[in-house]
Amino acid sequence: MSLKIIESSDRFMRFSVSEINPSIANALRRTIMDDIPKLAIDKVIFHHGQIRDNEGNVYDSSLPLFDEIVAHRLALVPLITDPKMNFREECSCKGEGCPLCTMSYSINRIGPGLVTSADLQPLGNPELVPSDLEIPIVKLGPKQAILVTAEARMGRGSEHAKWCVTSGVAYKYHREYVVKKSEIENWQNFKDKCPGSVISENDKEIRFTDDYGCTLLYQLLDNPNVERFEDPTTYIFQFETDGSYKAIDVLEYALKRLPQRLNTLLDSLVVQD
Amino acid sequence: MMIPVRCFSCGRVIASDYQKFNQKIKEIRSDGREPTPQEISAIMDDLGLKRYCCRRMVLSHTDLIDEILPFS
Ligand SMILES: [Zn+2]
Repeated sequence: MSLKIIESSDRFMRFSVSEINPSIANALRRTIMDDIPKLAIDKVIFHHGQIRDNEGNVYDSSLPLFDEIVAHRLALVPLITDPKMNFREECSCKGEGCPLCTMSYSINRIGPGLVTSADLQPLGNPELVPSDLEIPIVKLGPKQAILVTAEARMGRGSEHAKWCVTSGVAYKYHREYVVKKSEIENWQNFKDKCPGSVISENDKEIRFTDDYGCTLLYQLLDNPNVERFEDPTTYIFQFETDGSYKAIDVLEYALKRLPQRLNTLLDSLVVQD
Repeated sequence: MMIPVRCFSCGRVIASDYQKFNQKIKEIRSDGREPTPQEISAIMDDLGLKRYCCRRMVLSHTDLIDEILPFS
């Protein structure tokens, strides 16, 4: 088994894994999808009542949206995560909530205006801010205000979608197209547009691969004159993250996590005597 | 109501893209014309809205928060 990173940025990654089979590929995919721990807001406390500002103006802290909707929107905001934080049930505080497993946030805004994720102030580690600061949470009219405290805890995507780090997790076979130059007249066009996708070339034929994401090559998919080869032992994966982790950190964690998951399965298979 | 924070199907955060999308559409409309389908497509590609699940979130949304703003 060997892994090669094809394309990597902060929030996107494409890599190939060879010498594996579909079951391992899918196990890796599902680990990346829903088994990466991250922070998400799990408890929101709304402070209702009247709020006065310095000039003596009175604001009402009830919102145009239901509290449940605002709490749900807050939960879905991606928060930059410290991977060393504990799960609450495994923490030394025994599930009560302490700085090792819980991160608190507050929002204190008066209207009119749009409340965004940038208004979510961390109370504690100042680095654990939302990774996207332009998410609208709720809009406030004149004389309206919001005063909220929220608690975030670690969780996994298998529990709730708010703990999903990645989106668009997909894999496909490594695929090759053999184009006979005498039969496909515009082969030069494909070569010019996707120069990195050429594997080999001689006088008679040219060989392309769609591993590198050149979408123009999909035109060759249903051309009867093009011979295609798929390698069911080599997989091209891609995924993107919501910014709570860098893409490379997600991959590293997933590769460490996969054997742990398999061991859990193995342990549960042992017959008890 | 307000734009959903994440795409219903894939979970990508699209709420912040909606604001940028509207901004670019507004810029084109200020020239006194409607954006062409190709322009709309290019704007979404630039924002990283690659999948059609995320594109429909942004494209089909109507913001009605201003209508319910007076009722708290
Ligand atoms: Zn989507």
